[in-house]
Amino acid sequence: MAPPATKRRKLEHSDEEEEIEIDAVEEDGVDGSDVSMNGADEPDDDEKIDLEEDNDESEGEDLEQDEKLAPAVKAAPTPKPFKRPAASIQDGVYTSETFKSNMFKLQVDDLLDQARLKYGRKEASAENAMRTLKSIMEQIPGRDALSIPEAEQALKTSGVAVPFPHPSPSKDTQYKLQYERPASINATGSYPLKLATRSDDRFSIDLVVTMPKSVLQDKDYLNHRYFYKRAYYLACLAAGIKQSKEHKFKLSYELLNGNQLQPILVIRPSGDGGADDFSNSRCDIHILVALPESAFPQNKLRPTSNCVRQKQNEDESTQKAAIATPFYNSSLQSDANVTAYLKLLHATASKTDAFKDACILGRIWLKQRGLGSRMRKGGFGNFEWAVVMALLLQPNAGVGTQALSPGYSSYQLFKATLQFLVRHDLSKKPFTFQAHGITIPKNEVGPVLFDGPRGQNVLFKMTHWSHSRLQLEAKTTVDMLSDSVFDQFDATFILKTELMTYKYDSLLEIPLSVLHLDAVTEGYEQALRDTCRKINNALSHALTDRITAISFTLPDEEDWTIITQQPKQKGSKRLLISFATDPANANRTVDHGPSAENKQEAASYRKFWGEKSELRRFKDGSILESVVWSAKDGGATVIEQIVLYTLKHQLGAQVAEQAKFSGDQFAGIVAAGRIQGQSGVTPFLPIMNAFTAMEKDIRDLEELPLQLRHLRAADPQLRYTSVEPPSAGHCPAPVVMQFEGSGRWPDDLCAIQRTKIAFLLRISELLLKAKPDYSARVGLENPSQPAQNQAFLDITSAGGFTFRIRIYHDREVTLFERQLKDSTLDAASRESAASSLALYKREFVQSPLHSQVLQTLSTRFPALSPSIRLMKRWFASHLLSPHFAPELIELLVVRTFLQPHPWSLPSTATTGFLRTLAWTSRWDWRNVPLIVDFSPTFSNNPAELEDTISRGMKSEDLERVQTRFEAWRRIDPAMNRVVLFAATNLDEEGTTWSDKSKPEKVVAARLTALAKTATHAVRAEEDRLLKHINDAKDTLTTTLSPESLFSANLKEYDIVVHINAKHVQKSAKKRESEVQFKNLEIQQAGRKDSSSTPVPLLFAQELLDIYGDSILWFWDPETLDKIVGLWNPVVTGQRSWKIKPGWNSEPIKKKTCEKEKSKDVDIKVNKVAVINEIKRLGGDLIKGIEVKA
Amino acid sequence: MAPEQPGKAKTSKAPPKTVAEFTILPLTLPTLSGLPEQCKDPKHYIYVKPHMPSVPTITDERSLFVANVPIDATETNIRTLFADKLGGSRVERVEFDAAIPAQTMHKRWKTDKAEKKDNEQRGKKRKRNEEALVAEGVIEDEDSALPSIWPGELRRSGSGAIVVFVDKSSARGAMKEIQRAVKESRSIHWKSGDAALGIERYKSHNTLTYPTPSSLQSSLNAYLTQFNALETLRNKHRKHARSVPDEDGFITVTRGGRAGPARLEDAEKKKAELEDRKKKNAVKDDFYRFQNREKRKEVEMGLRRRFEEDRKRVERMREGRGRVRPER
Repeated sequence: MAPPATKRRKLEHSDEEEEIEIDAVEEDGVDGSDVSMNGADEPDDDEKIDLEEDNDESEGEDLEQDEKLAPAVKAAPTPKPFKRPAASIQDGVYTSETFKSNMFKLQVDDLLDQARLKYGRKEASAENAMRTLKSIMEQIPGRDALSIPEAEQALKTSGVAVPFPHPSPSKDTQYKLQYERPASINATGSYPLKLATRSDDRFSIDLVVTMPKSVLQDKDYLNHRYFYKRAYYLACLAAGIKQSKEHKFKLSYELLNGNQLQPILVIRPSGDGGADDFSNSRCDIHILVALPESAFPQNKLRPTSNCVRQKQNEDESTQKAAIATPFYNSSLQSDANVTAYLKLLHATASKTDAFKDACILGRIWLKQRGLGSRMRKGGFGNFEWAVVMALLLQPNAGVGTQALSPGYSSYQLFKATLQFLVRHDLSKKPFTFQAHGITIPKNEVGPVLFDGPRGQNVLFKMTHWSHSRLQLEAKTTVDMLSDSVFDQFDATFILKTELMTYKYDSLLEIPLSVLHLDAVTEGYEQALRDTCRKINNALSHALTDRITAISFTLPDEEDWTIITQQPKQKGSKRLLISFATDPANANRTVDHGPSAENKQEAASYRKFWGEKSELRRFKDGSILESVVWSAKDGGATVIEQIVLYTLKHQLGAQVAEQAKFSGDQFAGIVAAGRIQGQSGVTPFLPIMNAFTAMEKDIRDLEELPLQLRHLRAADPQLRYTSVEPPSAGHCPAPVVMQFEGSGRWPDDLCAIQRTKIAFLLRISELLLKAKPDYSARVGLENPSQPAQNQAFLDITSAGGFTFRIRIYHDREVTLFERQLKDSTLDAASRESAASSLALYKREFVQSPLHSQVLQTLSTRFPALSPSIRLMKRWFASHLLSPHFAPELIELLVVRTFLQPHPWSLPSTATTGFLRTLAWTSRWDWRNVPLIVDFSPTFSNNPAELEDTISRGMKSEDLERVQTRFEAWRRIDPAMNRVVLFAATNLDEEGTTWSDKSKPEKVVAARLTALAKTATHAVRAEEDRLLKHINDAKDTLTTTLSPESLFSANLKEYDIVVHINAKHVQKSAKKRESEVQFKNLEIQQAGRKDSSSTPVPLLFAQELLDIYGDSILWFWDPETLDKIVGLWNPVVTGQRSWKIKPGWNSEPIKKKTCEKEKSKDVDIKVNKVAVINEIKRLGGDLIKGIEVKA
Repeated sequence: MAPEQPGKAKTSKAPPKTVAEFTILPLTLPTLSGLPEQCKDPKHYIYVKPHMPSVPTITDERSLFVANVPIDATETNIRTLFADKLGGSRVERVEFDAAIPAQTMHKRWKTDKAEKKDNEQRGKKRKRNEEALVAEGVIEDEDSALPSIWPGELRRSGSGAIVVFVDKSSARGAMKEIQRAVKESRSIHWKSGDAALGIERYKSHNTLTYPTPSSLQSSLNAYLTQFNALETLRNKHRKHARSVPDEDGFITVTRGGRAGPARLEDAEKKKAELEDRKKKNAVKDDFYRFQNREKRKEVEMGLRRRFEEDRKRVERMREGRGRVRPER
């Protein structure tokens, strides 16, 4: 047998179990005080154990079973679930197997602690209210059997309407409605099971009232009779509670999970602060009406049976043909099974330690994905999650081997449940649990998970689309959790996933009024379901592989007062359909249908597409039915055309007219932001072609001093990531040239630089001789560091594209490193060597490598290039660009694409941009490094690429980067040198793009603040949209225009230097529009001034040099119409006298002690003189300077 | 501007006239258009004292140290300042301590290794007599230097300068004149003078960046000649160092003989080879029982350590963003 500790644990379990059973199972006559389910008013756990020792014996059998299953249970008993002991080492070391990683486990623990409901004082008032309600309901006098109209009338006098489901009962029915004292009143649902979670919304506690058998008859399962009786029973309860004079509650009706057959009573606190006010519990009490167990024969309520007979053919002969009513049957069964499921869940929880935790994890997961038990939320919620998991934990669950073992940790249970959902496509292949001899008919309505012992399809509220959404989410999460390197905790539990702006690419809005749902006979809800199904089928059929997910967002239902019948839905509500697109297929213009010879398929194809379908002959000779869409620039996207056409053709012209389609709203911000065709890189083709041509021309030169090895791009313009696609007259694009190795290079850095100049002069001479339509000139740089690269060669092609060639000599790195280690050099020299080495590595090693990676990724992910360009435009428009290396911004966006979790790959510029922004706003860069893993595509070691197993970073690699990051934080805790840390598998240093405070801490903080504001605006917009679909009267006047995220606020800056309009850079568009004739343009382009650095930029850079860290300068490199500055308060505050404070100072007398004149002089920034200096330096370049008052 | 900025009323209260050993000399700046109201009547303050460095040099006596020079100060306009406004002392030269673009950085050996001698370079950074002791390259002369790409230098904000006068008395005279000017609150105007500023500065930079190929070529030729001569000299030095023991009897190991990348690569290859062989011949590390035991222990310790690290990390994260809470 187990050691005493285990025993003790078991005792506790049995104790809890017993308690629940008292409440939940006991048939009748429970006195009021017992309604409260355990928890709050319990004295002490230990005491209880002693008191209820005898329960142990009675549970003996259960215990035995427990022990058998127990050995694998992990040795971390958690006697009081909400007082988990601090994680100990033992705990951690052993959990590295049962949890993903230590980090994951620790975070899950934290999360569970946070999420669990405390069952404390706050909840006590709700429990009090429940007790009160229970005693009220038990004292409600019975009502005699009355016919339907009489019953309705009787209740009307007491001001309560009967919430009859649709179709309403006919007046001439034979049976009578009756009320008698309830068979039992119990709490049910997650609250008594201790599964409830704290959340910001109100939660609800379910109180189930079981109808006495005496009010029911055997045949009541037929033709809604039970549901009518149920509705009447509920109304009587409502009337009784309403009439009880000494207690005050707010009462209203609602539909249970949106199922119109099952109205429930919602009790809200009166809010008057009286004895029955339970406002501070922040919960509602739901009163459910349930069937006593085995009131009706199970076999009559199988999914195959029909329980709603058609009026006209009640005779035997036609009954066989009657259509099965699985939804009706399941709804009825769900009323009968309330207690059965409570028992099941409780039994499972007591057998499986981690069950409750896994349920809570599941709840959080579902909530973040917007899935819920309500039919409009998909019909898969907390209850379904818990039941599925409980069923899978049963022995012989029928999934081959037992799917879940009771020894699993909460994380394993969670993951295994998701895996089950992924593996089984329940829509296509129904899953039955211990249901022998029951055949499940193939139905078109939704997925089936049939629970045999309880005879109910657990998933009966789900639809096809919600099931495929669930599966998709489950699949994404399982993929995420299988990631061995990155801990995906945040993506799994923390992030709100169901956000249209991040998850989907296009939205379609349809007013419900055009769908004419009221005209249909089966009732509004059913009609809505059917219409959604129809739209889903039509659109998925039409869009084929262009979309990866389609999701329906329906307006919320409201509760209504108990005085009236359910009011009609407001026509102003809207239906929102969201699409996630597949960028590779989304913009395809031609869809191939079946061949013309295949008559039958061709006919159905024609029927679906109508006049749009045409017979076409293709290049390969095949003649196919096909549909062609136009792909004009600026017009509607292909998806939009298809969606609107399909709506028109399948649902009527009116629907299509009223529907509103939107998507990729931000793409218009950058030129060619919309993905065209199959790639996002089309606008860059001219410069790429020019580059290839130039490379060829240089390779063809015969008299080159050394053989050419590489010519590699090292610039955003050559990796598809410059904001504007380069056109003639753009800034020169750096290119790195490498020759074959040679022993004839000098072994001295300065001499190497001079030798490079000689090479460049030679190349330029040779190239101009061979191809006179190039222009080439050698330029100089880095005048004060003779050991750094001294010269470059600007080559301008005939088309006006300019490339800046620098020569890469791989010996330099060794020489610099030798200098670094050489202790005979003075300190300044070694420092210079260090910074030169960093520059060298960045320019000649990392930049070309990064460019190459980005080139490949951009072609692989069509949305990457536009997303990066959009993000860069955002940085630029907020004047942050000068502080961030372009590569750093690119890495931010690439991260979104390579680690898209919890979403799938972004497929438009908008989603890529917004998700990057959201991540940036959350990025806690003080404690977390940015790590991008290119390795599925690129690796330092080419051999690794061949070997598919070793793809991806390993956790050791990650560990290394993390250690490096932590080392930086230890060396420089104030973050004066390295603020952002961005590493990749190709560059583990992590500081290549952010060393030397690029950006500074203040600027990084500003980035976070700006990103947060933008993300909030986007979320607010989303909330507004959701409100909008609920009530269109709230017109969308205050929509968020994409431009508003891109406008900078200059008020916060101290100095604003306006540049004279004459010298302001012209954007590429303007450049083009000014030139009217193409030939003129070509003549003007390139040649002389085009490739030189713009004057305002030189000015801005010199300001940086002059003022160092005393003023922070910001500008937008694209326009450069103003340069704004911020006094660095840390550096330039008033201080005591110092000879060299590093800024232009102004002496002031210290007021306090004027006696010692000479000593007590303070200095502060001489702002007036600085402004004057800037103006002197800028001269005519400056139109004016504004200074913050 | 900030509220503590002297307004009209406050300007009457004169700023301090001296601080430490410095005399504070206000310079009136030119009035310029396009500036905001608050920036009228701009004053720049320079701090002047006789130059007295910790390591004295022969020019100290005839030098003044000026702190917080304007960013557009050049030798010419400082010279004019003293000549025209401050008693007409004649300036021999001005040594600025910060320039934009910065002065050419030559890597040097530590100074205490060789004897030093004053040369035209200022202050601590003295040029060594033997050019061979520059760590790399050569110190360019006029021919071998690359053409300058900026039309003139600027100063870092708040940097200093040493003004060297023709003789001791000029320096003293200038200092006295400054003190008098401060006493009398004379207004002394600052003129940018010949400093290259404004659009012209940047336009000419854009032109100067691309010197003619011929001028580049000639500077290259001069440089390489100079470099080759120096390299021969250096080789001689190294050879010398290789053969002659120093006073303690040690022979300094220096570079020489076969040079170039090949040697290094060979060495590394050999090293790898040796390590390989070592590994092959060594006792396998799972041979003895104690090895296994230790290895297991190590693994466990590693797990433990990593767990501790992770826990700390989670704690830090908690501090950073508060409790773990699902996003709304």
